[in-house]
Amino acid sequence: MRYALVLLLAAGCPKPAPVDSPAKTARGQLPEEAGLAKRPEDLPVTALAFEPPEPAAFRHELDGGVPLWVATSDEFPLVQISMTFKGGKYLEPAGHAGLARMTGSLIRSGGSKSKTPEALDEAFDFLAADVRVSVGNEFASADLNCLKDNLEECLDLFVEMLREPRFDASRTQVYKDGWLARLEQRNDDASDILSYEWNALLFGRDHYLGRIEKKSDIDAIDAADMKKMHARIFHPGNMSVQVSGAITADAVKPLLEKRFAGWAKGEPVDDPPAPTAAPAPGVYHVQKDIPQGKVRIGMRGITRDDPDAIAIEVMNDILGGGGFTSRITKRVRSDEGLAYTARSAFQNRVYFPGIFLAFTESKSETVAFATKIMMDEITRIRTEPVSAIELDTARAALIETFPRTFESKAATLDTFADDAWTGRDPGYWKAYRENVAKVDAARVTEVAAAHLDPAKAVILIVGDWEPIAKGDLEGHATMADFFGGEVTHLPLRDPLTDAPL
Amino acid sequence: MRTILCTALLAASPAWGQAVEAEEFVLDNGMKFLLYPRTEQPLNVSAGWVAHVGSVNERPGITGISHFFEHMMFKGTQTIGTNDPAQDAAFREQQEAARTKLRALQLDQNYARYLKGEIDDPWHPSHDTPEMAELRKELDRLVEAHKSVIVKDEFDQVYTQLGGSRMNAFTSNDLTFYFITVPSNKIEHWAWLESDRLADSVFREFYSERDVVHEERRKRTESTPTGVYDEQFEAMFWESSPYSWPVVGWPTDLNSYTMEQAQAYYDTYYRPNNLTGVIVGDFDAEAVKPVLVKYFGRLEAGEPPPPVVTLEMPQLAEKRMDAACECTPQVTVRHRAPPYEHADMAAFEVLANLLNGRTGRLYRSMVEGASVAAEASSGYRPLKYGGYFDIGAEVKGDATPDDLEREILAVVAKLQAEPVPERELQKVKNQVLADSYRRLEDNYSLMVQLGFYEALGDWRYLNTEGQRMQAVTAEDVQRVAKEWLVPSQRSVASYVREGGEE
Repeated sequence: MRYALVLLLAAGCPKPAPVDSPAKTARGQLPEEAGLAKRPEDLPVTALAFEPPEPAAFRHELDGGVPLWVATSDEFPLVQISMTFKGGKYLEPAGHAGLARMTGSLIRSGGSKSKTPEALDEAFDFLAADVRVSVGNEFASADLNCLKDNLEECLDLFVEMLREPRFDASRTQVYKDGWLARLEQRNDDASDILSYEWNALLFGRDHYLGRIEKKSDIDAIDAADMKKMHARIFHPGNMSVQVSGAITADAVKPLLEKRFAGWAKGEPVDDPPAPTAAPAPGVYHVQKDIPQGKVRIGMRGITRDDPDAIAIEVMNDILGGGGFTSRITKRVRSDEGLAYTARSAFQNRVYFPGIFLAFTESKSETVAFATKIMMDEITRIRTEPVSAIELDTARAALIETFPRTFESKAATLDTFADDAWTGRDPGYWKAYRENVAKVDAARVTEVAAAHLDPAKAVILIVGDWEPIAKGDLEGHATMADFFGGEVTHLPLRDPLTDAPL
Repeated sequence: MRTILCTALLAASPAWGQAVEAEEFVLDNGMKFLLYPRTEQPLNVSAGWVAHVGSVNERPGITGISHFFEHMMFKGTQTIGTNDPAQDAAFREQQEAARTKLRALQLDQNYARYLKGEIDDPWHPSHDTPEMAELRKELDRLVEAHKSVIVKDEFDQVYTQLGGSRMNAFTSNDLTFYFITVPSNKIEHWAWLESDRLADSVFREFYSERDVVHEERRKRTESTPTGVYDEQFEAMFWESSPYSWPVVGWPTDLNSYTMEQAQAYYDTYYRPNNLTGVIVGDFDAEAVKPVLVKYFGRLEAGEPPPPVVTLEMPQLAEKRMDAACECTPQVTVRHRAPPYEHADMAAFEVLANLLNGRTGRLYRSMVEGASVAAEASSGYRPLKYGGYFDIGAEVKGDATPDDLEREILAVVAKLQAEPVPERELQKVKNQVLADSYRRLEDNYSLMVQLGFYEALGDWRYLNTEGQRMQAVTAEDVQRVAKEWLVPSQRSVASYVREGGEE
């Protein structure tokens, strides 16, 4: 029977499916026919016991009080040493935007006291060491990954580089040349324009997260600026060390202490400043001739330690964070076929409230329709209770995937070190699953109403305005549907001076 | 000092890296599984299966169907994704009937109007004749009515509730791969869901998903600075090979797929004898084998899929694409290079490593040295039936694309003229050894690598690749540079900034 159907299909005359009973498949038995459980949910489950690891079991201390986190694994002959330092972009002086990233890059590429840049790179590469240094927005990191047999030699080079970087002039010039080339590309890719303007709108052009780099910054920064930033961030009073791989705490401790000896402790670094201005709600647009409009909808969100944070995690999973099980993705992508990506996220921050963000991209004529769906869903979750299955799915997703937070030894140590740096409640992980399970439908509505306000939304669109404004052929939506049809057209800006074009 | 270090490196690992001893387990229907238990990341497994089919198996008219099909595989079965399988089937059938008529009219009347220059896009709804508009309305009505029996995205729903994460799939020129991470106590659930969609996939939401793929194409190809040029460069580079069309497909073909074509594709290529399953993580292989037999064993083997016949024609002369785009002036110099499993592959991988990184030749000669490039890198891309080797760079300062091209060719000429010094070669080999461990650390990534190599020939390449690279000599590198990196085997894409000075 099944064989016959195969032949029919191959002959190009598919047999219409009978309407009164499910079509037999040509390719194997259906679950019931094969004597299998009717549905996957019917299968028995053996409970898995998992308790999050205790930070104390991994915590050690180096001379002088530097926190050391160690997790040993003998599977591979590799050692990973990751160092974390507080401080970053927010420490850049005025007129020196980009100094933080440049300092990180030049510590790595600019040589060390005893080694020219070429000699240091050559030594690391010959030893097959993977070495990275970066100074980010709020924290800096330095990582060494090498074969355990080379560890001592790699550590000598690595620590000297961190303690006494050379900031070589010719490598500085190479970096500046590359930076200028990147600056010149600022308006080439719509995604980049979206990202610059978004940060400027949400955090303000005067805040470190919204600051735009200009050619004048490149010209102003010199080795003295990098040295100052290096001295402020990279010292034992401001760092932690995470070690994983083929070495024990007892073995690594003396290796590190020997190389850190005599490294002067500087002052602790201040917390980053909060943005001053609140984002101004409304529709914003930047013109770009592409066949697709890129959309972001956002507003101020919450801090990581907000008492509503876990309820918001569940709520956002239902709204647009949970992929295909969430409302925004289902409606924009799978129901209407308007976009490849459609999601939402609460980007919580440690030191001040982060942002809520919903985003998508759609062909010009359906940008308004996709935007309308997202705005409608943001409104709906504040007022209508979520369904039992939505709630169950979101909670199960967060609870069942929880062990993955501690999936690898390196990830576990990063979590512990990060928590220690940012003062997270030590009971957070232990209570996490229980707290997720406690979130009910009423709580979801409550936190949505408290933290999502469509009237406060910033809507930013990069794309071709004329067809975007008009909306779709079928009349689902036009851009006049938002904020009374008012729109602020933001200019493209000169890539080198940031002056409006 | 150098010698001592090399000896130390080699002595520590006489086998040149760590071998992955995956167990092969083959079902009666021909479906092979690669099983690799590993406890370093506890309580989870990363599991997937790869279909040995990609855009190379397509033909004009259905380009992109492999990728489109990958999207369809998430739409459910007769059990998952509907609350009324009979009505669901009836709706799909009625939709396809309306759509077949509409498609015939578009291909007949609108293609004729397009070829006469009367309309700019035969597929756009704004060019519908009244008859087409009626059919489109009918189709929209059926699609809307169908929603009453669809359980939206239930496949994702079930997996999410079970604790599945990182569920995804990708399609390439040679293969299509579906994977996920699940808690170790849900392996049987995985087997249920995956064997169900292999036995019984149904093509729900066929038309809205086609729109999603159009948006994916707009996003990745049409709205990026060089996306459409990259696509045309690819089409120019390959002559006779099916690698010439994009994996996402040409837009016309994307508009015209039928459910019948999708079904034929499914029946031809998604047979157990053309699939390989991979499980890596915290599980007991002996306990899992009966589960695999129970679920995947019910899939019926098919005829072996038709082989790829058309080989790439030898290239006779250099080709060029001189383009202007909204981008930094840049150059890609591409040469024909060997496919997977070719004897010269290891030498090419070493060659790419010699050029890359801050101690690599491109950085030294172009970013520093002549100081014409803001960045420069090379990449070797071996495919199942062909391959290429790219060297690309972006200008800095007042340099021009011609300067970049000249410097790139100088780097190539030096590789041909002089054997690579022993220490430089050893540096690459040391890195290959360390990377041979690093690449095995994460279950998810290891699962993907095993399936990927198996689809291209043999998963054991994961183990032998490093050994083969360790055996490459300076003479090998010089020889392949001389044989392959020659003008007649070259294609160049050169870009100036649109509206710029050049």
